[in-house]
Amino acid sequence: MSTAESLPALRRLPALGAPFAAGLVLILLWEGLARLPGAEVLLAGPWDVALWLRENAGLMGRALAVTGAEAAAGFVLGNLAAVALALLAFALPRAERLIAALALLVFCLPLVATGPILRVLYGPGPGPQITLAALAVYYTTFVPLLVGLRAAPATWFDMVASYGRGHVAALIHVRLFAALPYLVAGLQIAAPAAFLGAMVGEFTGAERGMGVLTIRALRALDVEATWALATVAALVSIAVYAAIGRAGRRLLNAPPPVLLAPPSAARGPSPGRLLLRAGLAGAVALALWWGAMEAFDLNRFFAKRPGDVWAFLVTRPEAGAHRAELFGALGETLALAVPGYLAGLALGAALAVGLTLAPRAASLAMPVAVTLRAVPIVTTAPLIVLLMGRGPAGTIALVAVMIFFPVFVACLHGLARAPGQVLDVFDSYAAGPVQRLLHAQLPAMLPAFFASARMSLPAAMLAVTVVEWLATGRGVGALMALSASLSDYAMLWSAVVVVALATVAGHALLGAAEGRVLARYAGEQLR
Amino acid sequence: MPAEPGPPGIRCEGIAKRFEGPAGTLEAVAPLDLDFAGGRTTALVGPSGCGKSTLLRMIAGLEAPSAGTVRIGGETPAEVRTRAGLAVGFQDPSLLPWRTVQGNVALALKLARRRADPKAIERLLTLVGLEGFGTTRPGALSGGMRQRAAIARCLVTEPELLLLDEPFGAVDELTRRQLAHDLPRLWEARGTTTLFVTHSVTEAVLISDRVLVLSPRPARVVADIPVTLERPRAEGVELTPAFAELAEAVSAALARGAAEAGPKGLAAQ
Ligand SMILES: Nc1ncnc2c1ncn2[C@@H]1O[C@H](COP(=O)(O)OP(=O)(O)OP(=O)(O)O)[C@@H](O)[C@H]1O
Ligand SMILES: [Mg+2]
Repeated sequence: MSTAESLPALRRLPALGAPFAAGLVLILLWEGLARLPGAEVLLAGPWDVALWLRENAGLMGRALAVTGAEAAAGFVLGNLAAVALALLAFALPRAERLIAALALLVFCLPLVATGPILRVLYGPGPGPQITLAALAVYYTTFVPLLVGLRAAPATWFDMVASYGRGHVAALIHVRLFAALPYLVAGLQIAAPAAFLGAMVGEFTGAERGMGVLTIRALRALDVEATWALATVAALVSIAVYAAIGRAGRRLLNAPPPVLLAPPSAARGPSPGRLLLRAGLAGAVALALWWGAMEAFDLNRFFAKRPGDVWAFLVTRPEAGAHRAELFGALGETLALAVPGYLAGLALGAALAVGLTLAPRAASLAMPVAVTLRAVPIVTTAPLIVLLMGRGPAGTIALVAVMIFFPVFVACLHGLARAPGQVLDVFDSYAAGPVQRLLHAQLPAMLPAFFASARMSLPAAMLAVTVVEWLATGRGVGALMALSASLSDYAMLWSAVVVVALATVAGHALLGAAEGRVLARYAGEQLR
Repeated sequence: MPAEPGPPGIRCEGIAKRFEGPAGTLEAVAPLDLDFAGGRTTALVGPSGCGKSTLLRMIAGLEAPSAGTVRIGGETPAEVRTRAGLAVGFQDPSLLPWRTVQGNVALALKLARRRADPKAIERLLTLVGLEGFGTTRPGALSGGMRQRAAIARCLVTEPELLLLDEPFGAVDELTRRQLAHDLPRLWEARGTTTLFVTHSVTEAVLISDRVLVLSPRPARVVADIPVTLERPRAEGVELTPAFAELAEAVSAALARGAAEAGPKGLAAQ
């Protein structure tokens, strides 16, 4: 709740001045680049984009209305689900781990493959887009909310108890209010994510909307339309992000915290216990999957059950070939996703650290980065492909950009969270900025860094599969696209399962690394 | 058990508290037998970390004793809390930051399932020197002002038992004296039984009818000193020889407690 206090630099700035100036610089730079000779095959400048938008205002307006409505519906449904899940996990502390694990698993589903599956399950209509938008948002609200419900000091609960009141009164009078800033933070991140989810849903076979226009523009190599669509998507996302932030500040009388996730569990349980838990979560997930398919009595041709995927990948005679195809594609994908992801992490953290040594620059960079974080990067995938070609560099760059902003923002906030009094102590010994950084600020940054690293893992997979789907024609994203167009649903479901499991495994790996690093360098962050 | 008429006395029989931690067991309060007469004000003084807050929390029933029982006018702490018969002033003011000062005070009434009376709240705020700050949020108050708002919250439900844990810790000397003068009048008039933790010997003598001096952890009673000064305390009573003698006795008892605890002294805490 003390973000305002911990970010004096942010507060001193006139709220809009810096982003506005930075935006202007960006626009000028962009126009300048677009006017370079030969750039017109790749780059449409702001002027061309504006002209295109004027000519196609009606088309764009209708598409925006469609996608916006889908995103809004997904936003509402996803966040309602997040609130319900968080309250459920809070009310049933024994089931909390299980609920959180299932929530993570669902969040790790590759939207690119979930889209076509949902399309055959739902039939025509906006159902898949709305579901994908909801899937893209619920987790980033669920996690902070669960933290927020516990984010009150113990004496507040003692105070309630001292008047003879119990858990319900504590929930109503303390927890819900204490969780509000966290809810706002979640909602803020959710707004661009919902737009992104809706567009990805449209990529996978809708009739109308900005995603459909994007695909058409890309196929036709229509540079102006591609840039115009990405610009509108970015502007809408930034606007909604800013509007929610503003409403939040009004409501809370303070800027919402930029908390992404709690540190993963302290000195974790034994590996045996972890396996047991993972096994339990997996079993419940399988049961839910099977139960849902059976309950709606869905056609086995496209609504595969766990057994079908098992047969496809393990027991059928051709299973070996299936495995080779799927894991080969996954390998190609990871070969791009991992370097991009690591580059994004490294750049985000390094730039944040670099900027703390130059606090003036940090106070400028922060609002710009916070704003750019709202850009649904994947919607700019076609641009990156246009700019950098269909080779590995373009894909890696996109993943890195996708990861960079959340990590950078989280790290800056983490660095700023080093308690003022601690920094004062350092100052009183005239310690240099490097010492402050090493002993006070880096330990404060690490938890935020890891939290954002974990949360952006699915985003990295989303970015890479979208580029593969739309552009490069390689890797698991392209395999999903192909399987969807060939109605090879067994492969599609298998890809969903394998990618989700790989993402969850990466998440677990990061959690383990996080536990070790934090135990060593930031012990007080683990409780 | 039925409540006895009149202000409730407190009876602690063999209460003790041990905390199990990673470094082993920590004995915060050794088995203690304590009696506090109804309608009286008792000051608890003792070195930092000796278990004063823990004792207070056990009496309020917020912390379960490891052994022993607490009875307040014959009832358990839980029974007293259920009818909002007690109020605790916590060492940290624990105001809810999203509520105004008024809102925080009104919350106590709401939790006690009583009607909020804006006039009464305003009167209390004036008494603790917060007039005009009713609509301010705690974030915009100084540490001492927050503590005074917390005191107002304790008083607004007119409890039979008031448990105050260093309520004036962050209040400036002048206001502190003013409060030490005004507040006891209020709870005396209502016949409230009050336990009051403080680090200030002067304040202990000024406010209470009795001073209990506790030893370093685990807390034992080193001295039980009745304060015989006239009530309400006269202006300038601090300058009288009788007052000085009492304060001297309390200070000496504190020193004795520390000496008996041996050379481990501060390190033991
Ligand atoms: N919840 C807890 N868990 C473990 N140990 C505790 C807990 N609460 C208090 N203690 C320990 O019990 C001892 C007494 O603590 P307590 O807060 O009662 O001291 P105190 O007399 O109020 O000190 P102070 O004057 O500094 O407020 C301390 O050593 C403290 O570390
Ligand atoms: Mg204490």
